[in-house]
Amino acid sequence: MTKDKRFDSILDNCLERLLSGEESVEQCLDRYPEYSAELEPLLRTALVTQQVASIEPSRDFRARARYRLRSEMTTVRKSSWRSFLTWQPRWAVVVAAVLAVLIAGSGTVMAADSSMPGNPLYPVKLATENVRLSLTSSDVAKAELYATLANRRVAEIAHAVEKNKAKHVQRVTERLNEHLARMARLSLTAERAPAAVPEKTAGQEPSVSDEPSTEKDLPESTTAAERPAATSDAARSAAPAPEAIAWQKERARLQVLLGHYAVNHPEKLRELLTKAPPSARPAILRAISVSVATYRKALEELGQQETEPPPNNDRPQSRGQGENSPANGTAPQTWPHSIPAPEGGLRQQPAESPTGQQAPRLQPFSSAKPDLTLP
Amino acid sequence: MSVITTRIGGFPVQDEQALVHRAQDGDKEAFAELYEAFFDRVYRYLLVRIGNRVEAEDMTQQVFLKAYKSVPSYRWRGVPFSAWLFRIAHNLVVDFFRRESKRPAVPLDESIAVADDDPQDTVERRMDVERVMAASQELTAAQREVISLRFAGGLAIAETARVMGKSEGAIKALQHSAIAALRRTLLAEESNDKG
Repeated sequence: MTKDKRFDSILDNCLERLLSGEESVEQCLDRYPEYSAELEPLLRTALVTQQVASIEPSRDFRARARYRLRSEMTTVRKSSWRSFLTWQPRWAVVVAAVLAVLIAGSGTVMAADSSMPGNPLYPVKLATENVRLSLTSSDVAKAELYATLANRRVAEIAHAVEKNKAKHVQRVTERLNEHLARMARLSLTAERAPAAVPEKTAGQEPSVSDEPSTEKDLPESTTAAERPAATSDAARSAAPAPEAIAWQKERARLQVLLGHYAVNHPEKLRELLTKAPPSARPAILRAISVSVATYRKALEELGQQETEPPPNNDRPQSRGQGENSPANGTAPQTWPHSIPAPEGGLRQQPAESPTGQQAPRLQPFSSAKPDLTLP
Repeated sequence: MSVITTRIGGFPVQDEQALVHRAQDGDKEAFAELYEAFFDRVYRYLLVRIGNRVEAEDMTQQVFLKAYKSVPSYRWRGVPFSAWLFRIAHNLVVDFFRRESKRPAVPLDESIAVADDDPQDTVERRMDVERVMAASQELTAAQREVISLRFAGGLAIAETARVMGKSEGAIKALQHSAIAALRRTLLAEESNDKG
């Protein structure tokens, strides 16, 4: 064994004992006096690093995750013994939608809609919002819903500030940041436009593989720019499908809404900053920076439509092709449909560079007041 | 090859195997036990590795859903459940960075909860966690993976090697270089704060 390998093993041996509490740094150094000068600084650093083991999921997240898993476990079990009923998922969605509509019409839910943090009906309000989110499929519609929910949270923060409830301010700003963060991860670029040509072209069926296990399955390889020219040419000559027109309108509406909130939310939060209890101010400051960055990014993506025309795909863009699609197993809002094959399915580590952000540019927006009711 | 054992919140190997077998037979409670045992560790690993709370929360849920769906296909073959579970998480991390490298990053909220058994300790602990997480940004991807799996995920060297598809010797060497690099960064930050 080389000296380096021997030292690596000694360090690991000490770390195991140190981290499990079996030994102190001093005891370990006594066992290896010849390496103590080299070992000591590393073991002291390991003790500091060990503090990451004290990180805990928030109670809110723990509860949400448990609920989601339980729901999924029920669904998975049902679908496994009724898998021959291919209509079952659609049927389940229809039932869920009907229930949501019925619930939305009930007096309790309507009363809950105007409830504020601390009110007994407030959890009902949050639960109803989650149902609405789960029934919203397109990224543009989801972004609109997140923005609307963010608007609600800003109103709730104002209410909590007025009542001098620092804890409520902190919790609601966390929720606000979460809505914005989830919105930031949606893909709003024109690349996800629905088809301009309703018919499919033979041989152009996109891959619906469940996981991007190889480079060829990565999202960028399925963008319109790389599709065969024949398909694009055929598509360009066709009239826009009603679906594409509706999608354009949806994006335009979202742009107006976000343009309004991009100014209104940070402004309102800055106002509240001066009135908020001191302990709640850091949370509001964080919410201001998150809201500014997120709205800018979303507007930047929506603004791409002006310079970058939507691609002319041969069929409506499949969820399996986008960055947030469940097909690549990374959708933030939808659960993956595929079963991973971790045994032997080890992925190679790519170069990691999530930074390098270009300076975002705020897009012009209409001064029209958006409709603030939930879709 | 050292003996693979699960630590920090895990089970003795036999108990873990028994639970996994029950989960494979469709026993939801058995899977729920596995979930409760590994939930915090998987979340911690993802948070330290990615540095973003919201993403880590989403991915933690994805890990357990994928695990639930694929647990019938899990075979022991010397790979403990913990290593198998963390490999699902590792694969999601790889996909995440692959995706993120192609789009602008957005600064997100990074409020991190730590154990709050003692208020005085909590403040210091949070500061240490923040310092370590900031310093770990300076590590290479492989070094950060080792630190996240070992210290946040609580995996042993052998399990870490399984997850990363490397030899135990390579993991020990990476662990050494990662701790040394962390130390350099932490010291540099301290001297900057003083200066």
